[in-house]
Amino acid sequence: MTDPSVSAGHGVEIDCRSVTAGYLGSRVLRQVSFRITEPSIYVVLGPNGAGKTTLFRTLAGILQPYEGEVYIGGEPIDRQSSRDRLHYLTHVDGLPDGLTVREALEFFARVEGAQLGDVDRVLDQLEIRDLSAKFPSQLSAGQRKRVSIARVFLRERSIYLLDEPTANLDPKVAREIRELILKLSREAIVLYSSHNLFEAREIGRYVLVIKSGQISRFDRIENVRSSRYVLGIRVLQPSPALAAYDHEGEYYLRELSGPEEVPAVLRELMAQGVQIREAREMENPLEDLFA
Amino acid sequence: MLGITVRRASVTGRFYLVYGTAISLLLGVLLAHFSGPSFATSFPLFLPILGVVGAMGGLLVFASDRTKGVLEYLLAYGYSPRRLFANVLLTTLVLVSIVVGIGVSVSLGVYFAEGHPVTSTLAIGVGVYAVPMAFTCAAFASTVGVYWTALSSPRLGVNSPVGLIPFVGILPALVTLFAIVAAGLSGPISTTTLLLILGSGMGLAAIFVIILLVSMGRLLRRERLLSPA
Repeated sequence: MTDPSVSAGHGVEIDCRSVTAGYLGSRVLRQVSFRITEPSIYVVLGPNGAGKTTLFRTLAGILQPYEGEVYIGGEPIDRQSSRDRLHYLTHVDGLPDGLTVREALEFFARVEGAQLGDVDRVLDQLEIRDLSAKFPSQLSAGQRKRVSIARVFLRERSIYLLDEPTANLDPKVAREIRELILKLSREAIVLYSSHNLFEAREIGRYVLVIKSGQISRFDRIENVRSSRYVLGIRVLQPSPALAAYDHEGEYYLRELSGPEEVPAVLRELMAQGVQIREAREMENPLEDLFA
Repeated sequence: MLGITVRRASVTGRFYLVYGTAISLLLGVLLAHFSGPSFATSFPLFLPILGVVGAMGGLLVFASDRTKGVLEYLLAYGYSPRRLFANVLLTTLVLVSIVVGIGVSVSLGVYFAEGHPVTSTLAIGVGVYAVPMAFTCAAFASTVGVYWTALSSPRLGVNSPVGLIPFVGILPALVTLFAIVAAGLSGPISTTTLLLILGSGMGLAAIFVIILLVSMGRLLRRERLLSPA
């Protein structure tokens, strides 16, 4: 297991020390320890029930650990100054009934100590101004999620805990949200849980894998390798040079020992006159983390 | 926070608020106009019940906030469970004051406009029983409702805590009335005895509410306020 904080030159922002936590006495997280100092996106992965939401709730100070401590910027999480450095986006929408979208954002702004002028900014930023006068019950699941995410941008924080922020969003909006989150991660630590492995690979720099309440891997995503490396090649015209390759849809497949072999294989095919349209890694290495 | 919650409770529980206010107003005005002196004994009986019904919005907001993750959000920003609970309680009391305020003021206005006098029965019935008991019952319903909602899995409908709590909320009024009836079986009861029974009924309910509020940290763990994972 690699600890990214070792190579980072920033002050410790999240320090989770031997934390055991859960609900009503049952232990979901067991002896979880990690330190994060570098502003970046840390994708939290794990099967259902592994403890991702419990980890977020514990880091947010909602659940009090049975054992161990959580420090934010060197201070215990139960201090208000620690809480003020965090933003926690719950896995559910968290939109209050009985308030319109604008009123809900004004409510969030008050809770978070943001200015009411910030509400107008995020209404435009998330392109939800046309929803301002609607109640949550009048919104689609995707619209509710957008409004929910809007509160993340009301006020700058140094740490963002985002529990499945792009669930229920259409691909276009999900991409826009990912771009906004990427911008956040230049100056802040973003812990981001998702069940979408392609999204995780696209947005994350580090991966933190939870299995059975324990961290089974914490590493740079680029260090995560599949047990099999399968290269997929799409071509403009079929070629006899690809006769020995397996097929999957339009892709010709070849299993390699690793990505370092790809340039040589492509050079060889092009030398044989194969007109390559696209080459890609067919298996997401993050999938193996669930095995 | 309180202002927003009251507003949300008024919107979310508008049916209950309108129903409680309208029925208390309608019955109060009809009784004051047609029943004359018996207004003093009949009107106070139903006011606590309608107060509990009219103030259901507070509990509705709490149940909704728990399911939808609003309580979880507020806990993350340092709001304590007790503060959230007190917010529901105060919201309930504001709502019941709307029902009681409109019902009592308009009904008494009609009663006096009809030329009926102020009697000790009216003063005790409305001033000592109906109004304080409406607040007591609403606070009782709100407190038990918050605990019940938090301790049970989220569910909707008539069998949910929100659906059943009006029946529980009127218990202090029913117990007090039964005690008055029981005391009256052996003969007419004195005003002192009546006031003692009324004071005891409301006092016990109020003490129960305060104990639950103070013990919240021990009896109701914050995990109970989280949305289902």
